[in-house]
Amino acid sequence: MSFDLFEKEVRTIERGKTLLESGTIADEEAAKEYKKLHSSYKKLFKMTKRLVKMSDRNEEKLNKLAQTLEEKSTMLEGLSKKLAKYLSPQIYQSIFSGEKDVSLTTQRKKLTVYFSDIKNFTQTTEDLQPEDLTYLLNSYFTEMSKIALKHGATIDKFIGDAMLMFFGDPDTKGVREDARACVLMAIEMQQRMDDLKKVWFEKGYEHPFEMRVGINTGYCNVGNFGSEERMDYTIIGGEVNLAARLESSAAPGGILMSYETYALVKDLVETESREPIQVKGIRREVKPYAVTGILEGNDRNRRVIRQGYTGFDLFLNMDKLSDEDRKKAKHDLSTALDQLGD
Amino acid sequence: MDNIKIAATERSPELDFNFETNTFSLKGESYPEDVTDFFGNALKSLESHLEGLDGATIKFTFELIYFNSSSAKILMSLFDMLEETAEEGNTINIEWIYEADDDNMEELGEEFGEDLESANFKMKAIEG
Repeated sequence: MSFDLFEKEVRTIERGKTLLESGTIADEEAAKEYKKLHSSYKKLFKMTKRLVKMSDRNEEKLNKLAQTLEEKSTMLEGLSKKLAKYLSPQIYQSIFSGEKDVSLTTQRKKLTVYFSDIKNFTQTTEDLQPEDLTYLLNSYFTEMSKIALKHGATIDKFIGDAMLMFFGDPDTKGVREDARACVLMAIEMQQRMDDLKKVWFEKGYEHPFEMRVGINTGYCNVGNFGSEERMDYTIIGGEVNLAARLESSAAPGGILMSYETYALVKDLVETESREPIQVKGIRREVKPYAVTGILEGNDRNRRVIRQGYTGFDLFLNMDKLSDEDRKKAKHDLSTALDQLGD
Repeated sequence: MDNIKIAATERSPELDFNFETNTFSLKGESYPEDVTDFFGNALKSLESHLEGLDGATIKFTFELIYFNSSSAKILMSLFDMLEETAEEGNTINIEWIYEADDDNMEELGEEFGEDLESANFKMKAIEG
């Protein structure tokens, strides 16, 4: 059954035409006027049809355009998500929200700077195959980045085996809170390193990584450095160098901080003062403090337990344990406890 | 009658009505916020100018990239006006210029041209 969108209008025109041709309108003037009206109706009908057609055509074009835009937007979204991985999330956010200009501008801010690296990285890794080194480095950086982002650090860069991060820009909770967040982050990182060392050792890596951390609080220049074509959002200044210098003086698995940071976190962590050091570019004598423990009751939640001696060998990795295996492990440990007796 | 010349904007076409030389043109995109506000005066002036003509030769050029439905209604009224002027013994030469790859504008020109019996209508494709 065919259907014409304008069937009714076509019928009206046909009826008018028939009426005009039948000559039933006796009055000549009325017939003339009727003919004019009939012609105007035909013109109006034509105009309506054309406008509807044009409107449909424009709509179709707009829909196609909207689809193209959506495709482009999806593509850009995907691209920006990929590019975001090359930037610290805070920097990415502040650029994409328009808060920060992508131009060579810097400002002075009081920041808490974190610097870490792996002790004897070259010697530790020279016997490793590239695949093993890649695995170790990626798992190390992945785990450390997770903790850094959890504490709100701005990850500046990875330099080989070293990490440079800072607190206080672009977001800040105040100098004191920034310093405390940084120190708590460093403690959690070292705890995680303990766990990772056990996992790596279990996987066959005889000399697992040992991380040293240096922390300092002071005025730095932060912003975009480089050229208009290629820039880095980073920090520079003597205080940054001091964090690196503290790191190199830290014990393996330890955290060494400057007095400036210590003053802001002394009620939070247990510390021991170390021998003063001289740092190039810093006129004052630097008195370092090593973190030896946490004063607050934030007991860490150990995910890996590794204990072994003659007659006893235990390796427990909570991250790898399925619910079913967890029940099994509980049963096995309970059996072991029964066997051990009182 | 004073000539009317309005520069093109993002939403409205360039309007050039020269009543002395009887050359008229509309060029660009047409989706003005208020179509009657944009075309109203120019169309009224044109209507009264055309009414007074006898045996004149008029050239009207359309070079449009896009127009909305309200502008389409204006164009149809313009074509009607020009057709009536031609019926009254004037020579009307209408040129519809469109970009060669713009099928939509070509088709619209063909449709507008179909209605004309007395006015001369010519389509001209140009490279975009």
